[in-house]
Formats: sequence, structure tokens, C-alpha cells
Amino acid sequence: MTDVGQSAQFTKDVRAAPEDAAQIRREFSSWLSTHFTLDPTKASDVVLAVNEALANAAEFAYVNAPAPGLMHVRADYDGDASVLTVTISDDGAWRISETDHKNPARGRGIPLMRALTDHAVIDSNQAGTEVRLQWRHIDQDCGSRTT
Amino acid sequence: MTSQPDPAGCSVNESRVGEVSVVAVAGTVDMLTAPQLEEAINSAAKSSPSAIVVDMSAVEFLASAGMGVLVAAHEQLGDAARFAVVADGPATSRPLKLVGIAEVVDLFATLDEALAALKT
Repeated sequence: MTDVGQSAQFTKDVRAAPEDAAQIRREFSSWLSTHFTLDPTKASDVVLAVNEALANAAEFAYVNAPAPGLMHVRADYDGDASVLTVTISDDGAWRISETDHKNPARGRGIPLMRALTDHAVIDSNQAGTEVRLQWRHIDQDCGSRTT
Repeated sequence: MTSQPDPAGCSVNESRVGEVSVVAVAGTVDMLTAPQLEEAINSAAKSSPSAIVVDMSAVEFLASAGMGVLVAAHEQLGDAARFAVVADGPATSRPLKLVGIAEVVDLFATLDEALAALKT
């Protein structure tokens, strides 16, 4: 059981752009199904919530910059507490208010993140934004460890 | 040689059931592919159907970008045509209900139910 922390780790640093966001979502989804035993609803909730954080970073973090910067994704699993935490951060300048659309067709990413997680925190400052998404009662798939 | 459908992509198909235009979507509807859905709905509207049904039974992933397209289409159609969405399952109907879109747009679990409702 001692190598669990190492195998259940997901860390990516990519350009904050839509294509990269979609790619990371697919890789994360694959990692999730490999390392954890999730019912279809939970799996769907986790991937969608992560997608929304990635999409916000891709759309807003570097909107005033000459080129997109990076976004960082890290998934950490606490085996003792059965808690999965996914952190999506960027070094850009978006704020919650920028996604607070008056247009009713937009702006559902943050409500979705809150509805799909057990706990969601969005932390923005001058240096960037960090979104922490957390789920409890997540069981790892012990049969998939290769070492 | 058969080509595999791109799992990251979205395919959209429009067909008519009487006066109702059915826009059937499959695959992934996210910030990259949502414009395809938007374009398909706009195209369907041009033929002045009595209603447009977006059938997402074969959608495997639906992001907020896709949800926004549905809400926008409903608004833009206004009184010109009725609008309904077919969705069922954790990836589609669940998030649509969680963020209250099911209260804004008519949502049905199957195409048959949507078509039956639109006849009334």
C-alpha cells in the first residue's frame, strides 16, 4: 500500500488553450478510470467539473496577454480519507466577475463546478487563479497497480 | 477501410419528422465543438420547422459551452419554433438539471417522448 501515493498522481502543465484543455480532459478521464473505482455518475461529475475549470482558464486566464500562458493540473488522492482533490491553476488574470455573464446562455461553468463537487474553491489574485475541486468517498482501484 | 469516429469530435445530423426538425448530435460537445451544434441548429431553423429537437441521446460529453448553445438557441427561436432537447444519463441530463436548464428548456429522456409532446 506504500506506493499508492505515487501511482495515483496526475500532474500536467499545458498551454491554456481549448485544444489542450480537451486533451488534458481525455488524459485525466483515462487516469481516473485506471486508478479509481467510480460509478458512472461520479466519473462523469468529476470529469465535467475538471473540464469546466480547464475551460475557464483556457478562455479567460490570458485573454489580455499576447499569447496564452500555462495552466497547471494536479490531482492528489488521500487514501486515508478517500478524498480526491484536483487543482487547476493558471498564472493569468481572470476573475470570477469576468465569467459572471448577464447573457443567460453563458456563465454556467462555476455553478456546474459547485454542483458537481463536494467542495469547490476558486482563489484569484494578481498572480493567477487556483481552482480546487474535491470529492469524498472516492475508492481507489487496487487491482490496477502495476508495482 | 472504415474510419473510426473521432472520440474527441462531434457529429451532427439533421432530419425531418413531419414539421419537426431533429438535430441529432453524437460524441463530445465542448468549447471546441459547440459551434458545430450552433451552426446545425441555425441551419435547421432556416427551413422554418414548427419545432426543433436537439437529440443528445448519443452525446458522451456535454460541457457548459454546449449547454449555452441550447439556451441561446431556445432564446433566439423565440416564438418562431418550439424547442426541445432529448437527453438521458449522467453526462447530459444530470448536469442540465443541476444547473437549472431543464427549467428553461423542455427536456425529454427520449426522442419519442419529445415528438409526442410537440404534437400537443
